[in-house]
Amino acid sequence: MEFIDPNVVDLSRFQFALTALYHFMFVPLTLGLTFMLAAMETVYVVTGRQIYKDMAQFWGKLFGINFAIGVATGITMEFEFGTNWSMYSHFFGDMFGTPLAIEGLMAFFMESTFVGLMFFGWDRLSKQAHLAITYLVALGSNLSALWILIANAGMNMPEGAHFDPETMRMQFESFVNLVFNPDAQAKFVHTSVAGYVSAAMFVMGISAFYLLRGQHRQFAARSFRMAALFGIISTVAVITLGDVLGRLDYEKQPTKIAAIEGLWHTSKPPFEPWILAALPDDAKQENHFEVGVPLVLTPLITHTFDQPITGMHELEDAAGPRIRSGIEAVSALRRYGVTHSDVDLALFTQHEQDMGYGLLAARHAPNQDVTNIPENQIDAVVKATQPDILPNVFVTFWSFRFMVFLSLWFFALFAISAYVSLKRRLEHNKLLLKLCMWSIPLPILATEFGWITAEAGRQPWTVFGWLPTFLSASSHGVSYMVFSLIGFVLLYSVFIAAELYLMFKFARLGPEHDSMEPHAQHDAPKPSAFDMHPTAS
Amino acid sequence: MTKLLRLAGLAVVLVVSLLFAVFVGDQGPWYFAWVIGTVMIILISGAGAIMLDAQSNLSSDEEI
Ligand code: HEM
Repeated sequence: MEFIDPNVVDLSRFQFALTALYHFMFVPLTLGLTFMLAAMETVYVVTGRQIYKDMAQFWGKLFGINFAIGVATGITMEFEFGTNWSMYSHFFGDMFGTPLAIEGLMAFFMESTFVGLMFFGWDRLSKQAHLAITYLVALGSNLSALWILIANAGMNMPEGAHFDPETMRMQFESFVNLVFNPDAQAKFVHTSVAGYVSAAMFVMGISAFYLLRGQHRQFAARSFRMAALFGIISTVAVITLGDVLGRLDYEKQPTKIAAIEGLWHTSKPPFEPWILAALPDDAKQENHFEVGVPLVLTPLITHTFDQPITGMHELEDAAGPRIRSGIEAVSALRRYGVTHSDVDLALFTQHEQDMGYGLLAARHAPNQDVTNIPENQIDAVVKATQPDILPNVFVTFWSFRFMVFLSLWFFALFAISAYVSLKRRLEHNKLLLKLCMWSIPLPILATEFGWITAEAGRQPWTVFGWLPTFLSASSHGVSYMVFSLIGFVLLYSVFIAAELYLMFKFARLGPEHDSMEPHAQHDAPKPSAFDMHPTAS
Repeated sequence: MTKLLRLAGLAVVLVVSLLFAVFVGDQGPWYFAWVIGTVMIILISGAGAIMLDAQSNLSSDEEI
């Protein structure tokens, strides 16, 4: 493998994290709002009441702003794999490229085509046909997320692939295993319903704003009620799938789950506490203080009362023999590349499952090449590599906790809001309405923390157990990386500013067509590119 | 004739749904749960709105 400057690796990671986090400020609303629009339009088609069409059109306009600006941020990421992660693309391209291509071809085209029909088809299509289009947009946007999450699950829990010593890359084995990877399923549902939660909070918060101002009351009450019910069920779903993901991590990514739980030593079931707050110290490999709830951790993670969860120190110890075996695997593979002898191939096959650990050791080998390690240095290299198997515990631990604490807040807020709305006491509860309004950005924040948990927790690997991150980048110069990073920051900040400006502007203006409150119509804004259906209704 | 076609269409949807339920329900239980769950979320939130219509006199200024 080529020598890659560690600074370039760090910059590539930073750039990817930044573009992914920017991108995911837009995605959740797209995933969720489309299904909320479908729900509103369904009620319109079933009841024939104009107000539901007004709702679908107004929230559709806000969806349009988010979609138009957000879509561009995703496209750059797909290219980043090739430009900044060329070693990864070589190694895992077969597996990763397939779902990415399907995402581009099937879901993305489907979504974009139908989005046009959805915006401009109100007067041209029958009610039923338009409703079908809205459902197709919702399906399309969620299916595009599906393929990305299948690809991401492949990196976290590689299924349906094997390493080929001839081509030196992971080769496709089974499409069915790739698609039905349990991690892909759980990730998809968790992320999709996280989008539902985000959209529900968005609609509920803006509706609360109108109710506080006494504007568009009937419109806002219906939007609020639908969003509160949409949100409470989605929050239950996101928590359920979060539990499934934790259980999968326990089975397949023990380092991630140990870091998530700040567990330096193997747990003692059933009394082990679930740590609510702690200060993990990665350098000293300990927690400085801990506040926990006794008895919770074992059933929470293992769904039993007697199975232990392996701690990080024990995982480091267990990695020692795998690193040693991995060094054998990489050395045999190197020799096989030159000799093509059956002996080397047999030796490689014997140690193949540990190859990734051998590659991980390369960081401590002369010229990042394990075949250069002198025999008497192997123990030292193994020892130096052992702590490398752990992710950054502080980041993983806290990003997970922020996500979970926020989900509890969402549960409480949606439950109370749904109850108060069903009792028709919304306007008596100004504080609740204000809380709903201020909570609009929180599900997006939880989503960002979710991605940090998933991605930071997978380190030091890009492909878990197979390919270390520091060997995955491209061999650029530092200045190239800094230049492109600055470009992304500037460009994406402009996108965010534009999104916020337009969202605030159009949300403040309120629905253009409010059949229940014609006297409260806002002064029509000057026609703009985002006026998707100026004459509808 | 239209009725017959509609019936045939619904029958096809039924068969496809059954096949989907059997195959995906077996291979990908969470995918299946997502489909069912999303439909349920849409129906419940829609029902909530219709309930509000039934609860209120649309044009009045009463509490919402
Ligand atoms: C009790 C509640 C929750 C639990 C137990 C939970 C659990 C998890 C876990 C374990 C992961 C890492 C998965 C991996 O190994 O890759 C994750 C990722 C994620 N979470 Fe959560 N989560 C919860 C709530 C939420 C909420 C409320 C949101 C957003 C509204 C959210 C959004 C995400 C996202 C976007 C990811 C990254 C994608 C993925 O890996 O699925 N989560 N969550």
